[in-house]
Amino acid sequence: MRFDSKDVWHYKMPTVTTDPLVLSSVIAELALRQLPCGGWSALASSTQPAIEPTCYATMALGSVPVGDIERAHDFLLRTQNPDGSWPVVLGDDQGGTYVTSLAVLALRDLLPAIPARLRAIHWLLHCVGKESNWIWKWKFRTADRHVRFDPEKYGWPWFPDTISWVVPTAFSILALNQTPCSCDGLEGITLRVDRGIQMLFDRACPGGGWNAGNGVVYECPMAPHIDDTAIALLALRERDQHPIVQTAVQYLEQAASTLAAPWSLSWASLALAAYRRPIRPLAGSRPALSDFSNTQDTATLAVGCLALDPTRALSTFGVTP
Amino acid sequence: MSVTRRELIIGSAALAAGSVVTTPFFLPKFHSDHRLKRSRVAVLNAHQYSQDLDQILAAALRQFPINVKGKTVVLKPNLVDYIPGNAINTHPLLVLAAAESFRRMGAKSLLVAEGPGHQRDTQLVLSQTGYEQSLREERIRFVDLNRDELIRTPLCASYTGMKDLWLPRTVLEADFLVSMPKIKAHHWSGVTLSMKNMFGIVPGSRYGWPKNILHWKGIQETILDLCATVPIHFVIADGIVAMEGNGPLNGTARNLGKIVLADDPVAADATCARLMGFLPDRVSHIHEGSKFLGTASPARIEQLGETVASPAKPFGVVSEFRYLQAL
Repeated sequence: MRFDSKDVWHYKMPTVTTDPLVLSSVIAELALRQLPCGGWSALASSTQPAIEPTCYATMALGSVPVGDIERAHDFLLRTQNPDGSWPVVLGDDQGGTYVTSLAVLALRDLLPAIPARLRAIHWLLHCVGKESNWIWKWKFRTADRHVRFDPEKYGWPWFPDTISWVVPTAFSILALNQTPCSCDGLEGITLRVDRGIQMLFDRACPGGGWNAGNGVVYECPMAPHIDDTAIALLALRERDQHPIVQTAVQYLEQAASTLAAPWSLSWASLALAAYRRPIRPLAGSRPALSDFSNTQDTATLAVGCLALDPTRALSTFGVTP
Repeated sequence: MSVTRRELIIGSAALAAGSVVTTPFFLPKFHSDHRLKRSRVAVLNAHQYSQDLDQILAAALRQFPINVKGKTVVLKPNLVDYIPGNAINTHPLLVLAAAESFRRMGAKSLLVAEGPGHQRDTQLVLSQTGYEQSLREERIRFVDLNRDELIRTPLCASYTGMKDLWLPRTVLEADFLVSMPKIKAHHWSGVTLSMKNMFGIVPGSRYGWPKNILHWKGIQETILDLCATVPIHFVIADGIVAMEGNGPLNGTARNLGKIVLADDPVAADATCARLMGFLPDRVSHIHEGSKFLGTASPARIEQLGETVASPAKPFGVVSEFRYLQAL
């Protein structure tokens, strides 16, 4: 795999020159890991199907003639909770916002999945961070001020009954941005997406980028995380002129240049591709990228596949570079 | 004084209603008593992270009547995140020394398992902290508890009111679970020691990063429910370089120069708290845990190794937890 850049019009367009052998071997490994039920497990050694890796794998295999994508779609449709959400693992009845958002994205090209996606979007619209309730707003404004944030700007929690965090909010924004229409009770999408974007701005780390969602704790500025920053940046692609976004992109460029961990590296390369930033520095991480197939973690393997083909991956996330 | 039938009925109803409301507050919230007849704690002097830890630990472990022959041993260090220069995580050399000791003691299989609570990229934390290379060289398997197989597990105590938690198979199937905390002050729970270290077994994939539901259900309460449900068999606490102040991430390094070993997590944490200059009974989960998880009373702890002396100056802690300090 080789990262490079070339002049296109007046800007540097990042390109990822992928060794077809590497991409095909990683895809083949991903296809091999598909379970008989159609889903994927979180770890290669496990047989318990999980929704997050299944969503990434479905996105990665979406347009290649490898693996049984129909079985993957069936699995996702079968595992949706009656309330429209998706659980983390089969057998759990509690919906998670991040897995529900990812399932909406993974099923985006499937016409028969439209009713399921609409149910999921309704569920997402009704799922709010706990700080949206007046009593918790009051608590965070008066008695509990150790984490600096504005409770008026709320997004999505990982799971209902907790407060908003960066990653589930970013994934929910990406999912809601792909809503096929704004009718039938979905009129509130624009407002929720906008509020979620404000929440992301509010929770940014003072030095640039994002972590889970605590920018300042006990007056101490917290450090950002690469994957959280990259996922937030994908959700904020249309706000690329905002100073917080620009600072985060700079942080990501700098941090990614010395990165070797495949999960963070994959998300970073996707986000940098989305912002048309040269990703040449990542060339130093080629060994890590070609070593994907050895990873136990299937979500990492699948996100690695997506990063190796960023144009298609960004389209799956509904992000236009 | 005469009581009418009407008054008697109303009074009885009020009494019954009062009992229904107040009884849960007086009933024990744990299902079984895990306390040992006699708990043992060893405090070891160790002033730096070096290869000598191997021998120091092996010698100290021989003083405990533990048998891991043929057992699956899981070492659970405290790996949260990596910030250069901050003493956040259990040092990998101590984990390697423990692994070597338990292997020599006949463990059938040995692995290191953790589910970091802040950083989702576990491999990044492993690589930045030096764990990845160390574990690879020593051929020790690592399991990311944030992504392990999940099993719905009924809780064996009811401090949080939660009925069950989805917990990782690796931990539930361990024959011998060793909690290996970093001795730190903590801005939400006062201290983070062997019992609080169990937050790391709660899978992020199911509860998020951070594992926010545990905070909403009460940190002290969750610690008790977790430790009642997944017993800690042994503790090796890293206090060579500890953390005071705004822990668990942004506190200040403090050279304590101690390793604490114990076959009882409450005794271990009470001892660590004393070494930090705190009054253990003021730490809510230690105080409550001493009713069923172990003992906090020095009179009931067999002290091995060094004596437990409180420091001249207690560990710094955020203002909400100053009441923990002994001085």
